[in-house]
Amino acid sequence: MTLTLTLRTAPTVPLEADVLSPDRLSGVSALEAAKLTVVHGNQRADLGEFFQVGGAADGELHLTGDLAQVKQIGTGMARGRIVVHGSVGMHLGAGMTGGEIVVEGDAGDWVGPEMSGGRIVVKGNAGHMLGSARRGSQIGVRGGEIVVFGNAGNEVGNGMRRGLIAIGGDAGDFAGVNMLAGTIVVLGRLAWRAGAGMRRGSIISMHPAELLPTFSYACDYAPEFLRVCLRHVRGLGLTIADSHVNGRYQRWCGDGIELNRGEVLILDSAGTASRS
Amino acid sequence: MGENLKVVRDATCTFCGCVCDDMHLTVDLDQKRIMKAENACILGKAWFREHGIEERPLALIGGRTATTEEAVEAAAQILAQARFPLIYGLSDTTCEAQRVAVAIADMIGGTVDTTTSVCHGPSGIAFEGVGESTASLGEIKNRADLVVFWGGNPAEAHPRLFSRYAVTPKGMFIPNGRKDRTVVLVDVRRTPSTPAADIFIQVKPRSDFEVLWALRALVKGRKVDPSIERRTGVSLAVLEDLVARMKSCRFGVFLFGMGLTMNRGRHFNSGALLALATDLNEFTHWVAKPVRGHGNVTGADNVVSWQTGFPFGVNFSRGYPRFNPGEFTSVDLLTRREADAALIIASDPADNFPKAAIEHLRRIPVITLDPKATPTTQLAQVAFTTATYGINVSGTVYRMDDVPITLRPAFESPYPSDEQVLTAIRDRVRALLGGNRLPAGAPVAAAS
Amino acid sequence: MGSPLRIVNGRVYDPANGVNGAVQDVCVRDGKIVADVPPDAKRIDAAGMVVMPGGIDIHCHIAGPKVNLARKVQPETHQDDVQLRTRLTRSGTGGTVPSTFATGYRYATLGYTTAMEAAVTPLGARHTLEEFHDTPVLDKGFFVLVGNNLLLYRLLQEGRREELRHALAWWLKVTKAYAPKLVNPGGDEMWKGQRNANITSLDDKIGSFDLTPRRVIAAFIEAGNELGLPHPVHIHCNNLGHSGNVETTLETMRLAEGRRAHIAHIQFHSYGAAAGKSQSNPTSRARDIIEYINTHPNISADVGAVMFGPATIMTGDAPLAYMLRRFGGNKWVNADTENESGCGIVPFRYQDRVYTNALQWAIGLELLLLSEDPWRMVFSTDHPNGGSFMSYPRLIRLLMDRGYRKEQMAHVNQKALDRSALRDCQEREYSLSEIAIITRAGPARLLGLTDKGHLGVGADADVTIYEEDEDKEKMFSAPRYVIKDGELIIEDHELRADHQGRLLHVAPDYDPQIEQVIEPFFEDFYTIRFANYPVDDRYVPNGQIIPTTPSVAAAPATAGTRT
Ligand code: SF4
Ligand SMILES: [Zn+2]
Repeated sequence: MTLTLTLRTAPTVPLEADVLSPDRLSGVSALEAAKLTVVHGNQRADLGEFFQVGGAADGELHLTGDLAQVKQIGTGMARGRIVVHGSVGMHLGAGMTGGEIVVEGDAGDWVGPEMSGGRIVVKGNAGHMLGSARRGSQIGVRGGEIVVFGNAGNEVGNGMRRGLIAIGGDAGDFAGVNMLAGTIVVLGRLAWRAGAGMRRGSIISMHPAELLPTFSYACDYAPEFLRVCLRHVRGLGLTIADSHVNGRYQRWCGDGIELNRGEVLILDSAGTASRS
Repeated sequence: MGENLKVVRDATCTFCGCVCDDMHLTVDLDQKRIMKAENACILGKAWFREHGIEERPLALIGGRTATTEEAVEAAAQILAQARFPLIYGLSDTTCEAQRVAVAIADMIGGTVDTTTSVCHGPSGIAFEGVGESTASLGEIKNRADLVVFWGGNPAEAHPRLFSRYAVTPKGMFIPNGRKDRTVVLVDVRRTPSTPAADIFIQVKPRSDFEVLWALRALVKGRKVDPSIERRTGVSLAVLEDLVARMKSCRFGVFLFGMGLTMNRGRHFNSGALLALATDLNEFTHWVAKPVRGHGNVTGADNVVSWQTGFPFGVNFSRGYPRFNPGEFTSVDLLTRREADAALIIASDPADNFPKAAIEHLRRIPVITLDPKATPTTQLAQVAFTTATYGINVSGTVYRMDDVPITLRPAFESPYPSDEQVLTAIRDRVRALLGGNRLPAGAPVAAAS
Repeated sequence: MGSPLRIVNGRVYDPANGVNGAVQDVCVRDGKIVADVPPDAKRIDAAGMVVMPGGIDIHCHIAGPKVNLARKVQPETHQDDVQLRTRLTRSGTGGTVPSTFATGYRYATLGYTTAMEAAVTPLGARHTLEEFHDTPVLDKGFFVLVGNNLLLYRLLQEGRREELRHALAWWLKVTKAYAPKLVNPGGDEMWKGQRNANITSLDDKIGSFDLTPRRVIAAFIEAGNELGLPHPVHIHCNNLGHSGNVETTLETMRLAEGRRAHIAHIQFHSYGAAAGKSQSNPTSRARDIIEYINTHPNISADVGAVMFGPATIMTGDAPLAYMLRRFGGNKWVNADTENESGCGIVPFRYQDRVYTNALQWAIGLELLLLSEDPWRMVFSTDHPNGGSFMSYPRLIRLLMDRGYRKEQMAHVNQKALDRSALRDCQEREYSLSEIAIITRAGPARLLGLTDKGHLGVGADADVTIYEEDEDKEKMFSAPRYVIKDGELIIEDHELRADHQGRLLHVAPDYDPQIEQVIEPFFEDFYTIRFANYPVDDRYVPNGQIIPTTPSVAAAPATAGTRT
């Protein structure tokens, strides 16, 4: 059985529900779950004040309702599954190490900050700082996968060190900024200044993009790893055309200010990349 | 002019972040007016001239005249009951008042944010990423032979930045003043500051980051494609010339403004400039300094930092400080309609915040402390009239370069100081809550 | 001040009064240790416990401009180490540079009741005092940076030694400082004025000044002693962190010529160089240092021990921080203060596998284990430079427990141990009494704080009571009781009250004429008015002036006294 939580009373101020994580709820009955503590603004509250709770926890959690005011869902999650029928607030899957979160709607800022394993799928749009490092920290996602079907905001994968971030729609400014390694695939448009300060890692774009003056054109090629990667992304549910999988890509090296060992790959049929 | 004149020497102007402390004020004590402000720039003169005592009620509750005590009670009730209260402003008051404001935020489990989040917040975030090489203004006066202004118009916004600190003054190792310095101005348009520069570099709007990035590459000896000119409006030759100057000067400084921090790229723009200054230290001495606007916004950064570990946008909901710009910054949390009460100190968000944020302020109980009537005091449930810092109240103010200065007030005000009002509110809230509010939850494990 | 209190049944360690573990009562009233209290006074049964004076940190960095920059630049270290508010106490954040409230409470929870902030620019004095206001429990003071002060350089360059002394007294008094501090004398001028250069020897010329570090150091030792300061001069030597710097350190100590001088964090100044290669890895020269100190009673030092783990380099020695910046994970802060100082900040981590870090760790222990006079080689980590003050209990265990020490030595870079003498001092274990000396009685004596560091009648009632434990780290991590100024702050290991400590400062006399020398310099080279520079008493709501005993009168500094 799964534990089902349906939003009954919308919180009047932000609700922090880091308790909503399958591992923290394992073996908990609906009754017990309703008694768990959440933080409503500056005060404690019971989960049951906001949610109708049913079923029992066996590693799977189903949340229903507009949870845009609910933060910290899946914090530190290590296993199990969360499905959200609706939208969620900030810090979804923060520091998660395993398991899966699927959001049918939109997600707020800071999806999967500093996660090291597991998978987050957002069917709608995601906010800024998707898969990013915390403020002041140099290292973002250390592993795992984030898939967004819609658009994502600024600073996708800031400081990313490993793993995969795939975005079906557009990505905002500074995608892959200060990236250390890992892969970011953007099927829509890359906005400005992608890869600024990146040391290693790959940013893949299917559309022309304006690159920073510190990126240099290296070659045109069809890397094998990219084929594998795109097929994998297709498997995750994003629409990948065969022309993407089989296409040739312009390889731009950067960031010249750093190690210059990162790359931005731009689908050739997309026309020539231009530098800014 | 009255008979009862007094001269206050070495008073401080708090109108802008220059915080000039060489004001000699002639005060008419009968009229409670400052007749003359020697050494003040045109902005400072206006600031001192305009501050007489207006006939305003001590406090208003729901638009009706009230005593300070009644208003303290009303304010304390609002704050004690709120679940997600915001305390905002703080850049035009003393550190002593700021300290109490943070204490209230901690006590009730609210959010404290300052005007930094709408001016140099990006520079604060950039600082957290790369650090900063910086200096007090006197080092610039004494040593800087290359001064680069970026994204600001000091001639109109910080007039004495030129005359007292960075361009014309003579200094220990700059014996001839202006003649010994090269002044560069980088901006998207010509302004009244432009004539002060030896070199003016006009960049296309929203391309500061590209220019800075290209400069960093050149400083590191990397190649930059001439197409940079198409994107930024600045030719490679101009950039190369600037780099040569920057590497060969003895003491270089960037003074950067909101033109850089508040355009597209924000904290990455500030970060690129700070990183460039750091890179240049391989070759010679380089520093960078954000040019701060409000009189004591730098004090607010300092007070919030030493009390919480973070400079602005700090939330105490869970019983300890958390920092996250975008989440706990005022415009964002008001726009998302999260706050359920607000205490606004010496600031006027109803005048300068985006519409959606102002609309939310209209929905929730707002408490204001301000010497004057403003759009924000007009929408407030509880509005205190307070004395003006630097004019009527002493206390500590930090100059934009983190140098603290003690204010010398000119004349007394019939109104209480911000510190007095906030202290009364804090004490009353403490009584209502029976001490600090106990933490609402344990620290978030592994969360951001 | 709390109600009268009698601590009974505890084993008392009060080395200043020759008490070495005797079971005896300690009575407290009105904030002081007293001979007796009425029979109905509250009792603390300290059976099975150790009673010591409150800890005193002689050298740490806890408040002021550079500390606040170091806080701001590391938000990532705060979020996972938080201090929750309670009904009575404020919240805060930790990491190696905690917020002010967390700093005060955390020191208290280790049994410390006094701490000296070791490097404050005169221009930053007001800021430091504002932070002290928000640093609870502790009594505090600060050392004011004078060793790179350009007006003082000018006076010295012109041979105006008397005026230098008066000016020094003026600076101490108007900033409400506790002691003068020299940091890498001459280094900041080289850094700011000579394209980021540094001083490499005591005889280098300091930029455009006709001066050398040797002259600067000798002059300040002389002036500080003549002023009769309780702590005449606190010296951070040149060449910190460089291989082969031991020679500079020894020469600096010799400059005192029998006068009092304190050398800060001497571990960082005890490095040799493998023969012929100055750029080589450092070696330990702890023996030479300790031999000199053992035989020169005018010299004292705090050790500046290193503990593995996170740290923050935070120093007035700007060129040093620049040298270390590549370890800072992209972050480096530099902050120049006009006419007064430089400053550098770099986040750092000491790793036991890294040769240099392991050597530094070993030298810290070596110095303490070889020291023959614990009163003059006292404890510090130069918090947070060698590690956070939260690592003190572990370091105490390393000193007290040779089995543990041996175990830890097995984990560190062995090449580094080969280059140190740590294996030769395996036997020694510090006694509780010696710990009480290096963490309490010694620092108090070196600082000239006669009412602190002991439990004799009339002393400040700052008392720490630890539960005895074989595991000394555990024992010193969480005292059962802490009494500050007679008030029970910690009871059953927990904070029970808030408390505002005092500011300890000096106010030496000077010839008022000196202001006529200083003021014109302000007009020309400062950006703050002379009249606005002195810190007024409002910043010291709770101050205590520690008296000076000058050996020369504050004679008029007229032209006649110039040489
Ligand atoms: S520059 Fe700023 S602080 Fe100075 S006088 Fe003008 S307005 Fe006042
Ligand atoms: Zn130190």
